[in-house]
Amino acid sequence: MIARVAWLLARPGSAGAAASVLPVTAFGIVTALLLTVIGGAQTFWTWTDDDGVLYQALAVIALVLLVVPLVSLGGAAAGLSARRRDDGLATLRLLGATPAMVAALAVIESAVLALVGAVAGVAVYLAGVPLLGLIAFRGEALGASGVLLPWPALVVVPFAIGALAAVSAVLGLRQVVISPLGVRTRQEAPRLHWVRVVVGLAVVALAFGVMSVLRVAPSAMVFLGMLALAFGGSLAVLNLIGPWVIRLIASGQAKRAKTPARLIAARTVLESPKGAWRQVGGVAMTSFMAVFAGAGVAALEAFGTAGDAESELLMADIRTGILITVVGSFLMVACSVGVKQAAGILDRGDLYRSLDMLGMPVGTMDAARRRAVMSPLRITAIGSALTAAVVMLPLTGVTLIVAPASLVVIAGVLAAGIGIVWLGLLATRPVLARAASTAG
Amino acid sequence: MSSFVIEAVGLSKSFGSTHALAGVDLSVRTGESLAVMGASGSGKTTLLHCLAGITRPGAGTVGFLSGAGRVVVTGLSERERSRLRREAFGFVFQQGFLIPELTAVENVALALMLNGMPRARAEEHGRGWLVALGLAGMEDRRIGQLSGGQAQRVAIARAQVTGASVVFADEPTGSLDSATSADVMQALLDSTTGQGRTLVVVTHDAEVAARCSRIVDVRDGRIVGERVPA
Repeated sequence: MIARVAWLLARPGSAGAAASVLPVTAFGIVTALLLTVIGGAQTFWTWTDDDGVLYQALAVIALVLLVVPLVSLGGAAAGLSARRRDDGLATLRLLGATPAMVAALAVIESAVLALVGAVAGVAVYLAGVPLLGLIAFRGEALGASGVLLPWPALVVVPFAIGALAAVSAVLGLRQVVISPLGVRTRQEAPRLHWVRVVVGLAVVALAFGVMSVLRVAPSAMVFLGMLALAFGGSLAVLNLIGPWVIRLIASGQAKRAKTPARLIAARTVLESPKGAWRQVGGVAMTSFMAVFAGAGVAALEAFGTAGDAESELLMADIRTGILITVVGSFLMVACSVGVKQAAGILDRGDLYRSLDMLGMPVGTMDAARRRAVMSPLRITAIGSALTAAVVMLPLTGVTLIVAPASLVVIAGVLAAGIGIVWLGLLATRPVLARAASTAG
Repeated sequence: MSSFVIEAVGLSKSFGSTHALAGVDLSVRTGESLAVMGASGSGKTTLLHCLAGITRPGAGTVGFLSGAGRVVVTGLSERERSRLRREAFGFVFQQGFLIPELTAVENVALALMLNGMPRARAEEHGRGWLVALGLAGMEDRRIGQLSGGQAQRVAIARAQVTGASVVFADEPTGSLDSATSADVMQALLDSTTGQGRTLVVVTHDAEVAARCSRIVDVRDGRIVGERVPA
């Protein structure tokens, strides 16, 4: 019975094939990126010398930085997959289907879409293995065999992705199960307290102080502990004050907005500053890390601390690692933004259609939603980079003088990352045009 | 010169094998309130969409008498029809379809801003309309903070603020209780025909239709009757 209804619901609905293709594509990208990251990192664990341990530690940091946007992307993909059939499932509830049956349908459909996407993602990863193998660490290419994961991993990962989608579908559809009408009311926009900023500034000042006295650390363990405190504390601050800053800036933008697109964008961000932050929060960590580590490496090189060939190789590898992590992180945020936007468009299809009837150009609707993502993204990327620059102030100041090209490269990579997200948004414009279309 | 603000001739529209409209002729007089009545699936909403230039009919023409002369709506491109809807027509939908993130006055002002009016002036006009429709003091509330009837008044203000010569309303009181429905319908009539504008209402509610100056009945995509309410 459940299988038959699931099959009926699987047919394309009013949102068109995009509603099925998008989650499949999103899960495909998640899987391909996950396998690429794990495949690339596995080589480091084959090195057993002293430097190998350092590489493994750096790989763990990079993986942690990539996990945040990856989880966000996975959640977004699962949410989209679940939401695309909200209406159908809500109708089934009205027709008397039990909550268990609705949950089962959600699980089946999301898991199947995720599995199809994940299998496609495995194929993309396998196709990319030769290219991935060209990336060089310690002076030589990793090699295709080095980055190719063993077959059990290639089987386990798609099923894990399917399970993630199933869990997310159940959570996402809780509302449908609770209320068949799916009524959602919006009341006052949430407010965030300014105390966050005071705490944030205090922690940044503390981190700055810790970094200033780093050289007097009595042992390597204390040194690493202080570094972790400054790094982790500053990242925590970003999460604490990020939504507040986004709300503050959006509030000013809403007051000053002169065009419909700017007004709608600013109000959309104000509706949920935390949501806007969650969407691009992965970039905060990456931007922070890019400046934190990038400036450090550049300064060390400029002062000739890395005198021998081995050290120079290590510095070059750290730079490569930073570059890969930043690009990977932005790529995932771009996919996550694209998927969330697609879900949002499907969610608000009736509103977009009504705005089209009123004569609002699709270009205006598109500009509003793009601005609602890009503005918080710019604030996040630049704000995080500036926070890292402040925490590392003596070093970033020195780098600016002795190795300005390094900072230009970091800025360029961040700008390219923002560009990738913009492309992700652009990719969802056809979904909006289709959703808004009332022309017969 | 014709006194008809809208003239439709031979309108037909099919969706697949379903004939939503099958040769409809309809003229709407300037300043009248016209109710289009019919059961679900009778083709009344499709007719409204064709008259308003939202949907292009499969056959037939729609003419609109604007200040600048007669415009053949069915001969316009999608972009031109979009502009016509923005500048000359107003719309009120059953669910309101206001932008939930915006305040009441911003929702109203948006219609003017889309036509290029500066925001400050647009909001000033918007506030005036909201006050006129009994929403004084609620201008800066977000849509979620308004009742269904209040939100529908905001939608009426949005439809009127541009000075639209024709307002199209699709089941404007469909989601409201009978008392609120009567109030909203009165507000809609006062702000349209009460000021020399034209109102076209699609409804299946006989009480709503009875408040209009003319009723046409639609069945199976055809106009099957026309009457003046008692």
